[in-house]
Amino acid sequence: MTNLEVVMRSNHELPSDVLKHLISILGNRVSTKDVDLLSYSRDYWPITLHWMLKGKIPALARAIVWPKNTREVQDVVKIAYENAIPVYTYGGGSGVLGGAIPEQGGIVVDMKKMRSIKLHEENLLVEVEAGTNGYYLEKYLNKKGYTLGHFPQSLYPSTIGGWIATKATGQFSTKYGGIEDMVLGLEAVLPWGDVVTLKPHVRSATGPDLKTLFIGSEGILGIITKTWLKIWPYPEKRILLSFASETLEEALDSVNRILKRGARPAVVRIYDIVETKRHFYKFDEVYGKIATIIILEGDSKLVEAEKQIIEEEFKGKALGENLVKHWLETRFNVKEASEFAPLGVVFDTIEVSIHWSKAIKLYRSLINVMRSVKGTLFVSAHASHFYPQGVCFYFTFAGIPKGDPTEYYNEVWDVAMKTTLEVGGAISHHHGIGRQRGKWLKEDLGLAFEVLKKVKNALDEKKIMNPRNMGV
Amino acid sequence: MPRKWDWLKDEIKGLELIRSAPLIFKFISGKLNGPDDLVKCALCPNMCRHACPISIVDGKETTSPAGKARIAFFIRDGKLELNLENIEPLYMCLSCDACTQWCPFEFSVSNLTRPIKEEAVKKGITFKEFSEVFKNLKEYGYVYGEPKDEKMVRDGNILYLRGCTIREKYPEVEKKTSKVLESLGYKPFTTSEKCCGIPAYNLGNITLFKKLAKEQAEIINSSGADVVVTSCPSCAYAYRVLYPKYSIKINPKIFHITEFLEGKIKGLKTKGRVTFHDPCKLAIGLKRPELLEKLLLSIEGLEVKSPRRKGKETFCCGYGGSAISRLNAQLADEISNERLKELREEAEVIVTACPTCKLAFESNYGKTLDIAELLYDVLRG
Ligand SMILES: Cc1cc2nc3c(=O)[nH]c(=O)nc-3n(C[C@H](O)[C@H](O)[C@H](O)COP(=O)(O)OP(=O)(O)OC[C@H]3O[C@@H](n4cnc5c(N)ncnc54)[C@H](O)[C@@H]3O)c2cc1C
Ligand code: SF4
Ligand code: SF4
Repeated sequence: MTNLEVVMRSNHELPSDVLKHLISILGNRVSTKDVDLLSYSRDYWPITLHWMLKGKIPALARAIVWPKNTREVQDVVKIAYENAIPVYTYGGGSGVLGGAIPEQGGIVVDMKKMRSIKLHEENLLVEVEAGTNGYYLEKYLNKKGYTLGHFPQSLYPSTIGGWIATKATGQFSTKYGGIEDMVLGLEAVLPWGDVVTLKPHVRSATGPDLKTLFIGSEGILGIITKTWLKIWPYPEKRILLSFASETLEEALDSVNRILKRGARPAVVRIYDIVETKRHFYKFDEVYGKIATIIILEGDSKLVEAEKQIIEEEFKGKALGENLVKHWLETRFNVKEASEFAPLGVVFDTIEVSIHWSKAIKLYRSLINVMRSVKGTLFVSAHASHFYPQGVCFYFTFAGIPKGDPTEYYNEVWDVAMKTTLEVGGAISHHHGIGRQRGKWLKEDLGLAFEVLKKVKNALDEKKIMNPRNMGV
Repeated sequence: MPRKWDWLKDEIKGLELIRSAPLIFKFISGKLNGPDDLVKCALCPNMCRHACPISIVDGKETTSPAGKARIAFFIRDGKLELNLENIEPLYMCLSCDACTQWCPFEFSVSNLTRPIKEEAVKKGITFKEFSEVFKNLKEYGYVYGEPKDEKMVRDGNILYLRGCTIREKYPEVEKKTSKVLESLGYKPFTTSEKCCGIPAYNLGNITLFKKLAKEQAEIINSSGADVVVTSCPSCAYAYRVLYPKYSIKINPKIFHITEFLEGKIKGLKTKGRVTFHDPCKLAIGLKRPELLEKLLLSIEGLEVKSPRRKGKETFCCGYGGSAISRLNAQLADEISNERLKELREEAEVIVTACPTCKLAFESNYGKTLDIAELLYDVLRG
């Protein structure tokens, strides 16, 4: 390929008879063109943006395929299995940790042509193929009077399969849960090409819940081709609330009490002082304070009751709807990376979770250690997802390294991961592991990491499914 | 009120800021321009992908909005060769500007990638499928080749410009539009019009576009009309939005037929159920996302069913942008069928206001009426 440096170069070639075989099955839905290989050389791992600006690309697959149905996915996987060729499943490429990068060449299977939707209204279920675009599904459901309740900030570019594979959560998760709470059943193509269906029963006591094996599996155990998701009637009513608090502790305590009383707001977000300034600079009343925004939605009687609980429990100044409206209007305005990466600013986010008892400690420790890395311009955070047991903090950092951007980037990540483990948190809440967190997964899981490896080796004895992803 | 970047200034204060981040300081102080638009788009995670018909139906990273920007960026930077294989994805664009509606920067991918297409055309790197279009436009000022012998109506008080597709494929729409205008008391006349130039513009042949635009402007300006009505939203878009960008002036006021009829059709009654398809050049290009629906709703007794994607969220019929229907007709039809499927969930009869949309749907067996055809039928009772 003209003038482009490949960072993770692999020596594996794709035998010509394999290519011929793929073409005989998929016709023109197989490509080895430079422009296609280039387009699938990365996902949205932020450090790779800096590589790209310098004419470096992470890796190159040997072929890209676009199957249209489960049968075709099976055929591709069988060919790969017979020839021990790596297979990388690609959804929307919005993963932020390098999970979809075809590090060892091989075949990239793009799922986006698989996008059929079947609504089962009577059972409040939707059956959907894995390549379906997130917003496309939500819009479809809305027209029929339903919602999935899953709104990751990547709703627009990502796919349903990607959500399941990375165990995504959305901005409305405090009420609707993460994707794992929505998946009732799924279908996946296993590394040797057979299809396993984990049926969408309302609940079943039929041994361990095997579908959870695939939720968060990031393409290392097989290819998710279809799923059955729980849906909700489109909310009858929405109430928007916001508050200004003097301290982060006060705001966190308030939410803790609200959840203990059983109220389940859809959205709760508590911004530290830096992020309050950053997101709500137009609102004098919160500048220099801690802003909290809350959205309640659902049946009107239930949300009115929840509103009362919140008003009783939230210590701080109530500020009404405007902050929340501003958030709703701007929540998908993803601009920073585009504006700052070309100026040499290394920029990323790190999401971790923690019990209530250690929440403040984790917040302060991470801000401190990340800030202490030479080159850091700022570190900030907001609490973005809440549970009766604890909370997810979402940190943002930016720095201008004097030397190699990748080195600086890894240094910040390493201190953040190490400190999270020391304080007792989980190293990822919803972005997953990918390439970036691989080496830390072992530390987080302990012996369970060996269990994961055994499962991987048992299912994928030839190690063809996204090899080396997640450090397994 | 604090300003947008004050938080960052608060975080990285004084000397430290100047030492560690002079570029950032300049940027947030407004003294430095940031990266150019193509770079910004190339670095985006495709935040408009869900709106892009190509992205939804083709489903490839290569032809996704940011994917196209990346390819254009690499070509511009000399990292990828400017050749047919590499520029083909850039032409997988309907020029519908659905991306613009969702982009935090309000970019149009079709505009961002056009300079590469223009460079390719200048260097003679162009698809054989486009050569015929260029030839027809050069020789006849008409995309479809030599025009049929046409009867012109020379007297009247408003100029009715039909556009190439009405002239070639839908003479009955021409007649019915004229009748509708007459029923409102106007006297439309036609002239030996040329192509507005949009096909050349879309395919990156700017020299040809400018030539056609100048000729067409001359025809319109010398017609003596104060008001021009056209059936084609792309033509209206060209005259009102594109020509001024190239300093080509049109003297009369230009209306798309829906704009001209707004507020003028009153007291109509009919029965039946229809759905509608908002043409992208009307809903997005001319910024009238609600107009077609409003016109339909003003007809008493007509049951008007909204599709899932309408207004600024409309989904191109598949035949927009001049390139895909020529380079990849199968994809164009797949997009049409995607749209038809959802429209048919609402009603058998689709009403639209663009001859290209009508052509796209009818080529895929979707019963489609131009708004003027529907009004003509209602007026006749
Ligand atoms: C701007 C932005 C905002 C984001 N906001 C959020 C957020 O709010 N919440 C959140 O949880 N995440 C968020 N993310 C991260 C990311 O979007 C999610 O993790 C998303 O689930 C990835 O989906 P995708 O379809 O893009 O997957 P990809 O990036 O294509 O793939 C991700 C991983 O899953 C694997 N994979 C994909 N599809 C399948 C399949 N069908 N079967 C098996 N494996 C598969 C891939 O191999 C890869 O390892 C954000 C990302 C961006 C860029
Ligand atoms: S047009 Fe805007 S939203 Fe779409 S990919 Fe480009 S920058 Fe992103
Ligand atoms: S103009 Fe239309 S087809 Fe082209 S990139 Fe934008 S949304 Fe997609």
